[in-house]
Amino acid sequence: MQRFDGREYIYPPDLLRRFVATPLTFLYRIGAFKVIVKTNDETLLPAFEASFESPGTNTFEWKLIRDSDSHGLLEPSMGITSGPLTFVGMGPACLIGVDRQRRELFAFIGRDIDRQTYKALLIPLFFELTSEACAANAASPSEGHNQACANE
Amino acid sequence: MIAGARCVLATNSPEASELAAAWEQKTPQRHAASFEMEVFVDSGMDDTTDQGPFFRGQNHLVFAFLPPRGFVAYDLLRRRVHAVLSTAAARDCCFWNNLLLPITIGVLGTTVGVIPLHSACLDYDGNGLLLAGVSGAGKSTLSAAMAEHGFSFVSDDWTYISKHGSLLMAHGLSSPVKLLPDTVKFFPRLRDLAPRTTLNGELAYELDPSCAEGFTVKRTSYPRRILFLERTSQPGCEFVPCRPDDVRTFFECNGERLPDELIEAKTFRTGIIETLSGCPAWILRSGDNPHKTAEAIGDFVAEAHNATV
Repeated sequence: MQRFDGREYIYPPDLLRRFVATPLTFLYRIGAFKVIVKTNDETLLPAFEASFESPGTNTFEWKLIRDSDSHGLLEPSMGITSGPLTFVGMGPACLIGVDRQRRELFAFIGRDIDRQTYKALLIPLFFELTSEACAANAASPSEGHNQACANE
Repeated sequence: MIAGARCVLATNSPEASELAAAWEQKTPQRHAASFEMEVFVDSGMDDTTDQGPFFRGQNHLVFAFLPPRGFVAYDLLRRRVHAVLSTAAARDCCFWNNLLLPITIGVLGTTVGVIPLHSACLDYDGNGLLLAGVSGAGKSTLSAAMAEHGFSFVSDDWTYISKHGSLLMAHGLSSPVKLLPDTVKFFPRLRDLAPRTTLNGELAYELDPSCAEGFTVKRTSYPRRILFLERTSQPGCEFVPCRPDDVRTFFECNGERLPDELIEAKTFRTGIIETLSGCPAWILRSGDNPHKTAEAIGDFVAEAHNATV
């Protein structure tokens, strides 16, 4: 019998760019909460002083991905907030998702977003979304896993 | 019910609610897994941009821009879909049937018991025949030809597989068949249509299977056989048997990678693929035109069917 090798048919396996490696990891204390930032681009690291404390269990995680396949500038934002989730889309150049229960923030940042725009617009937005998430978790501990990260 | 999954829709739009009535099932399957879909229609939404669709995901969250009409966010852990649509999109049944719903089942399906397979599906006397192959192998063209040669049409590109008791059930979403401009020589009726830019940016004719003359459309079928399409330059059709391992490898490699958060969905998909790998399968190498190939498949399937009976 003639051999057929199904592996010849490999289709793009990561269409959504879920598995982009984020090898750069830093821990920050930003105001009242700790944030672990994971990214694939050092220019996306916030200009805060890194923390050398242990991360602890209630740390918020930011996964910031420089998306080299997405180009264009920021567009007017569209937002969805429902239950523990908040999504913000500013066109393909910037997509942000926050899961308050899981204390996670994800962002895809297009290649044309320069450092200045990132620093002036996006970092404050991440900070605001994280503060809101922590405040919501503090107000409704059952929504968070155990306790709000702001209380750590 | 959408491809075997139950959708609970909440919306502020009477138009969207009216469109949804088309997929309402009077006797819903009680055991079907369900997901919630919240659709907010924003009358102030700008729908003048001309970008193509755009998708990104991280862990259990997936985003889709379906310009110029919508921003959709999927939560695969909690099985929820949140969408903001323009008024035009909410009213447009093509947007729902050809874009929003197929994409939603494609993204979320694995978490609600529906596995999207990159295959066409045709039905012959209640027996489903899956046509698999890489993009460009000719699945859509051959599906259209087979629909003109006595097979009932279920789907031409993506087929959604769910479990129905101990059996697998293949679902189609009645999306248009996409036929590339050069196929007009095989399907002269396409001359009456204008080609359009499709989701993946290709220019293609879109043939509505439910209106196409000579087509019989079925929403579901039970997959019994699988053909893997390969084009060759040699005339004639050759059916080469495949081993279950190869069927398994093909579908595992074709499936989208899922994150660790979705372990249940991964396990479910593996189970479905395992069951599928038990179906008799062949590589179909054809250098013939789609109509001759469709006839050859018809003869082959009839022979296999008679042998079984």
